[in-house]
Amino acid sequence: MYTVRNVTEDLYWVGGNDHRLALFENVHPIPRGVSYNSYLLLDEKTALFDTVDWSVCREYLANAEGLLNGRPLDYLVINHMEPDHGASIEEILLRHPETKVISTGKAFMMMRQFGFDVDGRELEVKEGDSMSFGRHTIVFVEAPMVHWPEAMVSFDATDKVLFSADGFGSFGALDGKLFNDEVNFDRDWIDDARRYYTNIVGKYGPFVQALLKKASTLEIKYICPLHGPVWRSDFGYIIDKYDKWSSYVPEERGVLIVYASMYGNTAFAAQALASELCRRGVTNVHVYDVSSTHVSLLISESFRLSHVVLASVTYNLNIYPPMEHFLMEMKHLNVQNRTFAVIENGSWAPQAGGLISKFLEEEMKDIYLLEDPVTITSALNELSSPEISALASSIAESVLA
Amino acid sequence: MLFQATQQHEEFRAKVREFAEAEIKPIAATLDQENLFPDEIVQKMGFMGLMGLPFPIEYGGSGLDILHYSIGVEELSRVDGGVGVILSAHVSLGCWPIFAFGTEKQKKKYLTPLAKGEKLGAFGLTESEAGSDAGGTETTAELSGDHYVLNGSKIFITNAPKADIYVVFAVTTPDIGTRGISAFIVEKGWEGFTFGDKYDKMGIRSSTTAELNFNNVKVPKENLLGKEGQGFKIAMATLDGGRIGIASQALGIAQGAYESALDYAKEREQFGMAIAHQQAISFKIADMATKLRACRFLVYSAAELKENHESYAMESAMAKQYTSDRCLEIVNDALQIYGGSGFIKGIDVERFYRDAKICTIYEGTNEIQRVVIAAHLIGKSPKADGKPKKKGALTGERKKIIFKDGTAQEQVAALVEGLRKDGYDFTVGIPLDTPIVQAERIVSAGKGIGPKENMELIKALAVQAGAAIGSSRPVAETLKYVPLSRYVGMSGQKFKGNLYIACGISGAGQHLKGIKEASTIVAINSNPNAPIFKNADYGIVGDVEVILPLLTEALDNGNPKTEAPPMKKIKRTKPLKPARLYKLYVCCGCGYEYDKDIGDAEGGIAPGVAFDKLPEEWLCPCCAEEKDQFIEV
Repeated sequence: MYTVRNVTEDLYWVGGNDHRLALFENVHPIPRGVSYNSYLLLDEKTALFDTVDWSVCREYLANAEGLLNGRPLDYLVINHMEPDHGASIEEILLRHPETKVISTGKAFMMMRQFGFDVDGRELEVKEGDSMSFGRHTIVFVEAPMVHWPEAMVSFDATDKVLFSADGFGSFGALDGKLFNDEVNFDRDWIDDARRYYTNIVGKYGPFVQALLKKASTLEIKYICPLHGPVWRSDFGYIIDKYDKWSSYVPEERGVLIVYASMYGNTAFAAQALASELCRRGVTNVHVYDVSSTHVSLLISESFRLSHVVLASVTYNLNIYPPMEHFLMEMKHLNVQNRTFAVIENGSWAPQAGGLISKFLEEEMKDIYLLEDPVTITSALNELSSPEISALASSIAESVLA
Repeated sequence: MLFQATQQHEEFRAKVREFAEAEIKPIAATLDQENLFPDEIVQKMGFMGLMGLPFPIEYGGSGLDILHYSIGVEELSRVDGGVGVILSAHVSLGCWPIFAFGTEKQKKKYLTPLAKGEKLGAFGLTESEAGSDAGGTETTAELSGDHYVLNGSKIFITNAPKADIYVVFAVTTPDIGTRGISAFIVEKGWEGFTFGDKYDKMGIRSSTTAELNFNNVKVPKENLLGKEGQGFKIAMATLDGGRIGIASQALGIAQGAYESALDYAKEREQFGMAIAHQQAISFKIADMATKLRACRFLVYSAAELKENHESYAMESAMAKQYTSDRCLEIVNDALQIYGGSGFIKGIDVERFYRDAKICTIYEGTNEIQRVVIAAHLIGKSPKADGKPKKKGALTGERKKIIFKDGTAQEQVAALVEGLRKDGYDFTVGIPLDTPIVQAERIVSAGKGIGPKENMELIKALAVQAGAAIGSSRPVAETLKYVPLSRYVGMSGQKFKGNLYIACGISGAGQHLKGIKEASTIVAINSNPNAPIFKNADYGIVGDVEVILPLLTEALDNGNPKTEAPPMKKIKRTKPLKPARLYKLYVCCGCGYEYDKDIGDAEGGIAPGVAFDKLPEEWLCPCCAEEKDQFIEV
């Protein structure tokens, strides 16, 4: 009994699902688990596309060996060297001394760094090189900085299958289902797909744009990513998302309100703003507590929505640390082209507003700060309440514009 | 190599010297004392071919080399530093940029009469906020159909207002610093082009220097010199050559002072012999002559480098800086040799002493010359960031929306709509005499309001705007239209309310500082260059007698204003940050982002270096990929 699925007649998914891992990259929570996808092509020659994380290596080997059924493994194609896919390379090489490895020069350098013995077994490919495995001809396309420098994608020109490496991947275990049309992607997967893309690849938008441009010249029937479902229909849906994310265009006009509150007063102001916005007809409003929401979700939401309100207490004359962390993450992941507003709170020397505004204007790109920060001293009162209303009005005007 | 000028050069020197001694020397003291421009002399210089010395004969020049030009300026300055600079500013600054960057048509039209000496040229770069740092240039040239519209002013312009043709620098693309500057050829007499008063200078008083003012001056598109954005490059290249002229001027002044002092020292007897034989004096003379010789080599060598199309920017800076510094020492020693006699007006060393000083200042101060020299030796300082530092408006960030489209009526309607959108309710109002500091709105009159009866227009507008009446300082203090308690400004009453409507107020600094807390500033003034417009949220360029009645009518809802509720401060909306006008580049090896405004300090790349200008050997500072591994964002 194996967990393999056919992608096409002679191409098989041989990966594994992991529900035990709590934090992907030891950073991002994955309550729905994750799949590590690898694909085996059984042509005149046999070729394995990428390997898997060490955690699912045993079942992966069982899947692959079961399909090979004693045949030699002629080629191992490595599109991406990050250890969630590359960790099992050594195991394959040890078990299959006959296997040649096809990859980029930089990937081979990394294999040596990780301590895999590939000497004498490398077939280095460059942009546009192709190889025939029998019926199938595979073309190799470089995909630098999506999101590592060694990355490439492989294209089966015969069956029009794109092995897209981390592109088009998602958090979430497959658990038997394989294709996008076997799941309700827009209901069950898009949030994890967005959280995966924005946090893992978000910074590298220009490189993704370059790759999308190259891919647009290909006739594609299947997209086989290294995580999550295989795409075989509705390409427009996912490519539109990728195009928006990688060009930093919001998916929806709406407001993300992230608050940092110690005793509930700033939280109340954030909730008051949310109510005022909804009263003005802006109901696509999403409120999060920065202390209890993982920053990967906040990043994902900041890519989705057009407007962001940051409401923060002042802490040690500075920005509240988790809020500061969120700001830093936004900068590092290149969040840009968004409209921001700021609410600050402080009981004796409110500082957060000025510091957040300065960060947004000086450290980030193409941020439009709607207004000067609204200042609350300890709690909303008759002086600051009208300012929250006024802020709601200008945000509403901007969102509905 | 004998380091001597050729016989041809020395013959030329003799000719100019003869002219200067015969024609200029006799009147030099008068020109100086009376601050007179020597029209006739300049005309004769034209006949002699001096005005176009280094330009080809086909463009009306004399077809001689740069060394001839240098010797020409030197010999004139030897007698009168002012006449020297007339030639230097004309040739180096007025003609040369047209010669070097002009189209064939521009050369035919402008360079030819200039080189023939039929017309006089000048150069307009310096502004009150843009001296050594041209990045501060505020004069603007906006393209409008087949012409540019020039606005702004220039200061300290040599040969103005006598000159007929001006090479003027103005910003065509704002907010990008020196790359947004372009050069234009502007003729005297064009509508809107006027001059300020002639400066009363310490020295070089036979030359003329004045301000240039441009008020909507239409400059035909074909008068753009070079391409848009090349202005700074043109200015710097021009000044590179100009330095040879100023160095020659300093050399001539020093030579004249030296010769005069030497003659005097040989005649003047003390302690039974000519003071020239006293060691105290003879050593001075020895030092002066040594310095002159060193300076002359520097100046002539820079001229020869230029003539032979070798790089000469550093060498001309060295010549200008060194020669003018030595010149000050030499004129000082010369006057010292003269003793008390040298301190009396009418003695040439007294004039040389005053004439010399400007040479260490203009066409790049000697401090800037050292910056230029050091930059050639060491490279640009990594700390100097190329970002244009915009001086903010005195009233803080303002929207600066000027309603230009349509009729005056439509402009007023647009203004009222903007104000209503900002939350102003014109059904309510406050008494006209509400104390300024307590007023929520003020309609304020400046000198531009005109005769006293126009205060009725102010009053009518204040009533309909629901505002109190205010004024600028002169309206209260000098014109006495309103009591002193009603003038707004740092020295008067500060306005802290919401709406400030400035009528005929040009916007003196102290006035602007007094209204910086206003939520909204509206400017109505007939002068589009009035500073108030840069400090306002909304503006209408127009006559108060036209605009005020229209605005009054637009705000009139037919009913008396009801009592205004307690003031609520209206928040100022923030204007959009100007977008980045250049591309970023990212490395395919690691994702590192090259931002021109930041440069790469580690790689020795100063801020401001465009990606395509990076040296070929430059490597990504994070992963050492080569330049061709970068993609444009």
